[in-house]
Amino acid sequence: MGRARRPVQIIILTLIVILGGYAIGTAVFGGEKGRPQAGDNPPAFNLRGLDGQVHNLEKYQGKALVINFWATWCTYCVSEMPALQTQWEKWQDKDVVILGINTGEDDLTVTNFVKQTGVDFPILFDKNKEIVAKYGVVPMPTTFFVNKRGKITSIHQGELDLKTLNQQIDSLVNSR
Amino acid sequence: MITNTKCECGHQNPVGTVLCEACGKPQHEEPGGNSSELLEMRYDGVARRSQRANPNFIDKIWNFFSSVKVAVYLISITLVGAMLGTVFTQETMFINIDPSVYYKQKYGTIGEIYYLLGLSDTYNSWWFILLLVMIGASLVICSLDRVLPLYRALSKQKIRKHMQFLTRQRVVYQGPISGHGEEWVQQAIAPLKKKGYRVHTDGAALLAEKQRFSRWGPYVIHIGLIVFLLAVLFRGLPGLHMDEHYWFTEGEITPIPDTNYYLKNEKFTVEYYTEDEMSEEFRQRGKAVPKLFETKAVLYKCVDNCNNPLEEPELVEVDRHNIRVNDPLNYKGFQAYQFDFEETAEIRSVSPTLVDQETGEHYGKFTLRMNDPETEYDVGPYHLKLKDKYLDFDLDENKKPITKSGEPNAPAFLFTITGPGLPEDGGQFIYFPYLEQQKFFGQDKLNEALGGVNNKLRFDLLAMEDVDFIRSKSYLNIRIDRAMPFVWTGLGIVMLGLIMGFYWQHRRIWLRVDGDVLTLGGHTTKNWFGMRREVSSFLKSMGIEVDEKSLDNGGNRS
Repeated sequence: MGRARRPVQIIILTLIVILGGYAIGTAVFGGEKGRPQAGDNPPAFNLRGLDGQVHNLEKYQGKALVINFWATWCTYCVSEMPALQTQWEKWQDKDVVILGINTGEDDLTVTNFVKQTGVDFPILFDKNKEIVAKYGVVPMPTTFFVNKRGKITSIHQGELDLKTLNQQIDSLVNSR
Repeated sequence: MITNTKCECGHQNPVGTVLCEACGKPQHEEPGGNSSELLEMRYDGVARRSQRANPNFIDKIWNFFSSVKVAVYLISITLVGAMLGTVFTQETMFINIDPSVYYKQKYGTIGEIYYLLGLSDTYNSWWFILLLVMIGASLVICSLDRVLPLYRALSKQKIRKHMQFLTRQRVVYQGPISGHGEEWVQQAIAPLKKKGYRVHTDGAALLAEKQRFSRWGPYVIHIGLIVFLLAVLFRGLPGLHMDEHYWFTEGEITPIPDTNYYLKNEKFTVEYYTEDEMSEEFRQRGKAVPKLFETKAVLYKCVDNCNNPLEEPELVEVDRHNIRVNDPLNYKGFQAYQFDFEETAEIRSVSPTLVDQETGEHYGKFTLRMNDPETEYDVGPYHLKLKDKYLDFDLDENKKPITKSGEPNAPAFLFTITGPGLPEDGGQFIYFPYLEQQKFFGQDKLNEALGGVNNKLRFDLLAMEDVDFIRSKSYLNIRIDRAMPFVWTGLGIVMLGLIMGFYWQHRRIWLRVDGDVLTLGGHTTKNWFGMRREVSSFLKSMGIEVDEKSLDNGGNRS
């Protein structure tokens, strides 16, 4: 009697530990909600670019990303544009991509702005402001630095100057 | 230590057996003792599955969860914890608060302590979930440990029981009979069968039993509870649960993030209480109190180009409902509740008429959307090219036009117009759809400064229909709870178990004839009164008159 008992006990206890651990784990670490932090995976997006192409994280797999949320009406965003452009020119050969995600503005407005400022890194449209909400961006501009392994290394709120941006990208490229 | 667990009838019982699995003789009494106490009939006296002489580590964990006492403690602690969570409003009830300041501000120091103890989100705290998981473990292990031995014991019952087993039941009769024992037993079959018993005989011994399935009621309840618990704990799996709030502009189809659904707010209605309908208290406050707010909603499902930002998604209408408070739209587990609204007077689009200032001629109308407008228009002989758009117009320190914010507070449109009477390369024309802003920002002056059109043309809004206003926005609570069907299934199983255990009782009658003495013992899971009545009526049909009450062997609880 009771030959099969021990394995059954072990299976049931293991199941309880796995299921229970998962339930507690999602409760403690908050599941899917909350804004992304350094060390997290950046939330996925699938957006139309000014170039008429689809841009998403898969497209830039293996590259270091600087994801900048901006709008034409945000003065600080406008004034950091030249710095972003300069660093884009400097780093694009080293597998660094700068993505400017415009939040909720028209094609016309964005096209005019890009023409005026002469930036040529990929500009993406987030018309429904869905991605900006997923990234939990409150003040504009906010810039996310994502390393080549696809992890957020740092989040910068507010205007970036040329020097800090350079340092950030430098450490991004060297981070493993 | 090795305990001898062999019964005098020769049956080898497992450790922890209370009543011999075969003959029913009590196992843990002084030899030769003649106790007449009632027998403990729980689980028919069989040992729990995990009871062992020498438990090891795994057995100890197993035994911990196997204990009903532990289960009662776990449930009590969970109840107390759940009570603590009802003291102050939980974080999850708010859409937008900072809990670290909210509780202190609203409830003072107690609130702060409440927050710091993590009670502001009790039901999602690690310890609460841990308690639920432990209750789940206890349910599974307790049930397994009891139901299997009980099933085994009930499916191979020995018919001839030990004398003590019979005389120490709660329903007992002992008395003389006339005639042969085996014949008497054979005669007893018919009246018992008539009462719905299944009857087994073994010589001069008999076992009659009915409604055994009611014994499985509690275990069915446990299965239901486990389904329920699993559903509740795994609600958080991606895609199973969503609880978000979004704004839906009247007259627009809005995509709902992270779903394939789009919702159109066709019309939003709000009705307020009139002065006479309001109570004195409300009237004094002078506040408008809404009586009804309703969103006429149409739900669409995306069937093609859903995740392709380059193409327009293809939508199919799947549901339509007038959402009111407590009357949500409900489509296959997707729910939209009325939560809030906002009355606005935002322009969605205008259809101005191009008018010749000199001749008064109307060249025609064109529609200008505030969001994503077309960039080229042909009106009469004129060609209008939209050069720039300012959503919240202002002039910066260099008198250059800028957009101040992302809000459409002061939309302005800059056109280049070409056509008869205008310069070759066209004239510049700025246009403010809001009449009061044309004055405020000085549209005419700006146009003079821009030059080219030279007051030859103007845009006129001729009728009310030429302005399309967004009158309101509705704030809906979007909920998806795909775990709910499992919750209901679990509860359904619980109900089934409750019915099984409540409305039927497992009744058994054992009897044996020794010489000319009949000994009868009866057991039921509840309703002893009914049991005694049934036994007395059975004995009566066998020619033995006996008072119902005299069958009671003490322990009268029912």
